[in-house]
Amino acid sequence: MRKSNWLAVSVSFAPMLVVAGCASFPDEATTRQQGEKLVSEAYSRTSPAFSGRVVQDESQRICSKIGAAKLSQQEAAEVVRLARASIKYPASGKLAGDWKVGAKLAYDGQGGRILGGKLETSKVNGGLCSNCHALDPKEFNVGNIGPSLTGYGAQRGNSEAVAKLTYERIYDGWAFAPCSNMPRLGANGHLTPEQITDLVAYLIDPQSPANRR
Amino acid sequence: MPTTRAGIAAIALACLAWPGAAYTQSDSLGVGRKMLAEDNPGELWVERGKRVFAEPRGPKRASLEQCDFGLGPGKLEGAYAALPRYFSDTDKVQDLESRLVTCMVNLQGFKSEDLAKTAMGNLDQMSDMEALAAYIASRSNGMKMNVRLSHQKEYDLYKAGEYIFFRRNGPTDFACVTCHGDNGKRIRLQDLPNMMDPKQMQETVSTWPAYLGTQSNLRTMQWRLKICYWQMRLPDLPYLSDLSIAITSYLNYQGNGAVIQVPGVKR
Repeated sequence: MRKSNWLAVSVSFAPMLVVAGCASFPDEATTRQQGEKLVSEAYSRTSPAFSGRVVQDESQRICSKIGAAKLSQQEAAEVVRLARASIKYPASGKLAGDWKVGAKLAYDGQGGRILGGKLETSKVNGGLCSNCHALDPKEFNVGNIGPSLTGYGAQRGNSEAVAKLTYERIYDGWAFAPCSNMPRLGANGHLTPEQITDLVAYLIDPQSPANRR
Repeated sequence: MPTTRAGIAAIALACLAWPGAAYTQSDSLGVGRKMLAEDNPGELWVERGKRVFAEPRGPKRASLEQCDFGLGPGKLEGAYAALPRYFSDTDKVQDLESRLVTCMVNLQGFKSEDLAKTAMGNLDQMSDMEALAAYIASRSNGMKMNVRLSHQKEYDLYKAGEYIFFRRNGPTDFACVTCHGDNGKRIRLQDLPNMMDPKQMQETVSTWPAYLGTQSNLRTMQWRLKICYWQMRLPDLPYLSDLSIAITSYLNYQGNGAVIQVPGVKR
């Protein structure tokens, strides 16, 4: 009799004990902590010149939603605010540079990579544009992660306002589309303000191959 | 006291990973392999790996035949299908290559630093690691990817891998999902699998290690992740780091159910 009582008790307690005793998914805060620990451990012996690259800034942190979940309005506003604050303009004040220089940059996917602890030796970083965007309609070795920019200037014109918007979108596109896939090429220091003006010219100049019909 | 004992027993029972349905050989072992074998250069790595596996090597002049990949010493059939997994002797979750290194150090007496240096080979110097990985993975051909989470460290690393998959960083602001989160995307003309899609995830994880035409070499998932990090402008992803194993845990678990067909043949 006593034995079956014990059995009854243990059976009724079992589910509770199982919950307490089984391995299970860690909660969100623990996961974040463990994930960040993996990153810092993996790069603990990396040169300080590079290890900063794996440390997130506030915007990157907000933009790392698990399952690509939507941003709250507040978060989106914060990313936009930080992006706006990041944008710096070239000393010359001229936002549309040389489209011919831009044409080379737009197809240059080199620069800034690290292999065996060494930085790529290219003198200047490429614009990386064609990795993800269609540009010159005659070039078909182009990616499609971003929208096609063929005819960008033909559609929008090359006014001062278009130049400014284009410059800002390349410098830090999160000012307009928070957490979009577009790298913040200026804000992150991958491109200089002058390089960005050349890309602006490449996109909006009527002479540019990107606008050819 | 008996209550406590019964409670513990109940925990133990409930926590046991349920067996069965694990290594179904519905795809009559190696159909895919047979199809590929005709002209898959990766088979050369499998053949070499088979030889290297059985050969007495290293300072201890031992073969790898006593290496335990999770199903017992020397048992290779279906072992890769359940990797990464937790190993009690190292108290770590390990993927195929980190487990291989454990065995090559413990059984054969190699130094792990030396193994890491030659892990990714080229045409002048072929890598034993790549050959061994290809051979061992191929012993799960025709079986379904079947990564289980039961140890707490497996849960933790899987979740950390998911966290990393969505974690944006570096001068390009990229996470894995930036390039692998949508259908039909390309970097230039290189197609990118959408890892948010279970089917594409399955196709991907069940075909690594793979022979890559552009490399004229067989490569493993460790190599694939390293090259992703390189293109993302991040510092070198350290070989066999827990970070890399976390990502593989996430990917392989998501790929569960896919019929393994390695070596894959890729661009």
